[in-house]
Amino acid sequence: MSQIRELLDCFKKVATCPGKIVREYREKTGKGAVGCFPVYTPEEIPHAAGMLPVGMWGGETTLRLAPSALPSFACSIMQSITELQLQGVYDSLVAVIVSSPCDTLKAMGQKWRRQVPCIQFAHSRNTKIDAAADYTRREYQSIRARLEAACATTISDEAIQTSVRIYNEHRQVMREFSGLAASHPDLVNPIDRHMVMKSAFFMRKENHTVLVKALNGLLAKAAKKPWEGVKIIVSGIMLEPVSVLEVFKQNQIAVVGDDLAQESRQYRVDAPEGADPLDSLARQWLSMYGCSLIPDPEKSRFSLLRSLVEQRGADGIVLCVMKFCEPEEFDYPPMKAYMEKNGINLLQIEIDQQIQSVEQIRTRIQSFAEILRAQRARRASIAQL
Amino acid sequence: MYTLGIDIGSASSKAVILADGLRPVAGQAIQAGTGSSGPKQAVERALDEAKLTLSDIAASVATGYGRFTCELTDRQVSEISCHARGVSHQLPSARLVIDIGGQDAKVIRLDAQGAVWQFLMNEKCAAGTGRFLEVMSRVLEISLREMGAYHDRSSRPAAVSSTCTVFAESEVISLLAAGAAKPDIIAGIHRSVAVKVCGLASRVGWEDDIAMSGGVARNQGVVKALEAELGRPIKITPEPQLAGALGAALYAFDQYQSKNKTGG
Repeated sequence: MSQIRELLDCFKKVATCPGKIVREYREKTGKGAVGCFPVYTPEEIPHAAGMLPVGMWGGETTLRLAPSALPSFACSIMQSITELQLQGVYDSLVAVIVSSPCDTLKAMGQKWRRQVPCIQFAHSRNTKIDAAADYTRREYQSIRARLEAACATTISDEAIQTSVRIYNEHRQVMREFSGLAASHPDLVNPIDRHMVMKSAFFMRKENHTVLVKALNGLLAKAAKKPWEGVKIIVSGIMLEPVSVLEVFKQNQIAVVGDDLAQESRQYRVDAPEGADPLDSLARQWLSMYGCSLIPDPEKSRFSLLRSLVEQRGADGIVLCVMKFCEPEEFDYPPMKAYMEKNGINLLQIEIDQQIQSVEQIRTRIQSFAEILRAQRARRASIAQL
Repeated sequence: MYTLGIDIGSASSKAVILADGLRPVAGQAIQAGTGSSGPKQAVERALDEAKLTLSDIAASVATGYGRFTCELTDRQVSEISCHARGVSHQLPSARLVIDIGGQDAKVIRLDAQGAVWQFLMNEKCAAGTGRFLEVMSRVLEISLREMGAYHDRSSRPAAVSSTCTVFAESEVISLLAAGAAKPDIIAGIHRSVAVKVCGLASRVGWEDDIAMSGGVARNQGVVKALEAELGRPIKITPEPQLAGALGAALYAFDQYQSKNKTGG
């Protein structure tokens, strides 16, 4: 038990002190960090260059400078990133890689005003034709070339292949963690779970894998205890700030699975191994599904969520809609209709990294937990009849 | 056996005392909300009304925005659950509950058993809430109590924005400057509240049997505007402002019963 707590504290330390981690990495290895914008940025390429790929998901900050670059209706993550960028927080990075999955992100390359090289790329939007793999591969090749220039190094195919293997193993370990955490809500609370996921953005994946494997080993051996609270699946781009997760904890809500872009979505699909590592990465992109940022006419996200609810015995879903994130907003009406049809409880909350008070969210989450508890009590009393 | 429900809102505090989980013996509302002496006063007045002391209360529950600051009880239930429970207790056939309070507007959808199924609250903006009406009442120099009567005298409701309280206030000032009649402005204000709430109702899903609770339900102008927007009649609970506190008193009764059952 104390070993589990020690490990969880270790993840928390990493997740909450990224600046220190980057400094230490530079001092220890003589190599720098490369910022990776959300989402699905091929981290394997900077990893193969010996760099520390660092996830850039914004943070809690007051917007003073960002309004000079972005309109007020840009999403909360990009507002925070722009603010931090303009404050110079990212100046120690070797480069940043920017993906273009939405209208705001595709303009972020233009909004980059610091000296740090900005490498913008775009995934193919059509993922069903062979040309999509060729296109995405060329985009990744361009990232490699520009990164080689920024890092003054060469990135070999062999090095990327090794990174692909390391990342695939990490994905596997993270999927296992998600399942084990769901079985032990008494040991891994929603904040702990989030910190394990988030810390992955600030460690070399081979090192993170070692730590998560150790945690998984301990969780696998721990006795399962009945959970008196409610169990939910969370969906959306991300679930922060921690004050919102604190509300989950206070209401005895266990997060038993997620479909968050910042968490499990990125671990859903492995890259197929092959002779050409950039082609492997491109084909991984083509295999991705179930995300509001990936064109998906079948909207497999909804059936995927339904399966997750069933597999993990969840009482409902909390959809965490990022403020001003259009792709997520567009998914809400059909998702609500789908869940209603399938008798799955769904709550929508708005995620805003600039939020000052969580009182409204507190009321919503508490009410949702009360609904779920009442339903469970009713089911139990019917079962007794 | 008596149970107490305390609803501490942003603008007012309410207390209801219930005998045997069924019969309300006292109900008080004080126009002072969380962080003020309102909650204490509401409870004291309710105890006086029922001729009881705090030691006569077997269980109590707090709800509302200030529920976690209440020192009189250690059990809190959300205002969504409490309003739904309070309304359902008085109007069992209700399937959609509209509650417009001082700071937020809620639309709650109930299932066939009268339990909360889905709900939505307004976003952070004050438009469509009691605070919005308070701001307008101040600008128009007409008390909240009088606004319903003014509404009835309107022949051509003015257009008032439903998106932002601050912009709507500027619009009302412009309408006054242009010489618009106060009844028409007030009817326009009520319609803007109704449009906002109608947006929430359409998102949560329509139901035919609609009930309304919260202090704003006492304003017949808002109720009429809502009925016009929704195209359905709305039932009002007997003491709409006390519905949340009544729900809390009912939850307190549940708590008392389950404690007695388990011997706790």
